[in-house]
Amino acid sequence: MTSKIINMVEKLKDAEDRLLESMFAAEPIADDGFSQRIVTHIRRRIWVRRLALPVAMLVGGLVAFKPAMQLVTVSSTLLGVVPREFLEIPASVLPQVESVTFGMPLMPMIVLSAMVLVAGILGTRLLNE
Amino acid sequence: MACDGAWQIIQSATLLEVEDQSLVTLAVASQDTTAFGELIRRHQSQVRNFLRKLAADPVEADDLSQETFLHAWDKLQTYSGRGSFIGWLLKVAYTTFLQSKRKSKRYSEVLNEVGYVAEQQSRSYTQDADEVSDLDKLLAVLTEDERAIMVMSYACGLSHREIGDATGLPVGTVKSIIFRGKDKIRTNFDIKDHKHG
Repeated sequence: MTSKIINMVEKLKDAEDRLLESMFAAEPIADDGFSQRIVTHIRRRIWVRRLALPVAMLVGGLVAFKPAMQLVTVSSTLLGVVPREFLEIPASVLPQVESVTFGMPLMPMIVLSAMVLVAGILGTRLLNE
Repeated sequence: MACDGAWQIIQSATLLEVEDQSLVTLAVASQDTTAFGELIRRHQSQVRNFLRKLAADPVEADDLSQETFLHAWDKLQTYSGRGSFIGWLLKVAYTTFLQSKRKSKRYSEVLNEVGYVAEQQSRSYTQDADEVSDLDKLLAVLTEDERAIMVMSYACGLSHREIGDATGLPVGTVKSIIFRGKDKIRTNFDIKDHKHG
């Protein structure tokens, strides 16, 4: 069926069209490593993309480490200023627990860990995508 | 290691028999660069020939071809399977060509603003008179759009609908551009007496 259609199309083409086709026809160009070069380029790009996020996270982590530790220290100092009873959760709220008291550096550490965890999860998801 | 090499040979041999559409699916689904490499091997000649007829010189055309395949890899998931893969690839090639022209035009505008006289880049100036083939003379009388569409039709064998998809023009416009191009060629040349381009 397809070949019949092709033959009909061929018949519909006039002599001028066939002449133009022969004029526009060009010798096939040999590959000569052309495709391999592009594939290598693409593979390299894939690797760069894969490494970019973990490397950026590592560098960002190293850069942010000192200020983050300072933040932890400052927060714990500030928490020391807050009256102790504000940090204590009443037993009526959590009846199964006698009394939960957050230690001084514990709260900021938890917040910081949560942030790092969320960043890590988001980063991994981005990497997979 | 040797096992990997053997697997690659088996894979390459199998890929030779696979249709374009399946190779595209494989390349998109599992980021398979070997499958995409096979697609490049199949179509590089046509893409390079197409761009050589549009661009100023073969080196520039080959650079554009490389860019075309890199763009194609990035946008491979947008190929719907409607129409031939080479039609879609030539669309990417034509867009890449137009983008590069726009970029170089902006560049020469900046150079002109700072008083630099840019070198003439037209193919008619860069080639010796002896080197100019009949096809070059023939293409020189056509506008850029006409040239691209005539090349897609007569050199690449795309249907009017595929050319319409590639250029974003309605089929009627494609037909009238081809008619106009043929008319110009008829007026300027005796096409019966020609050398192959």
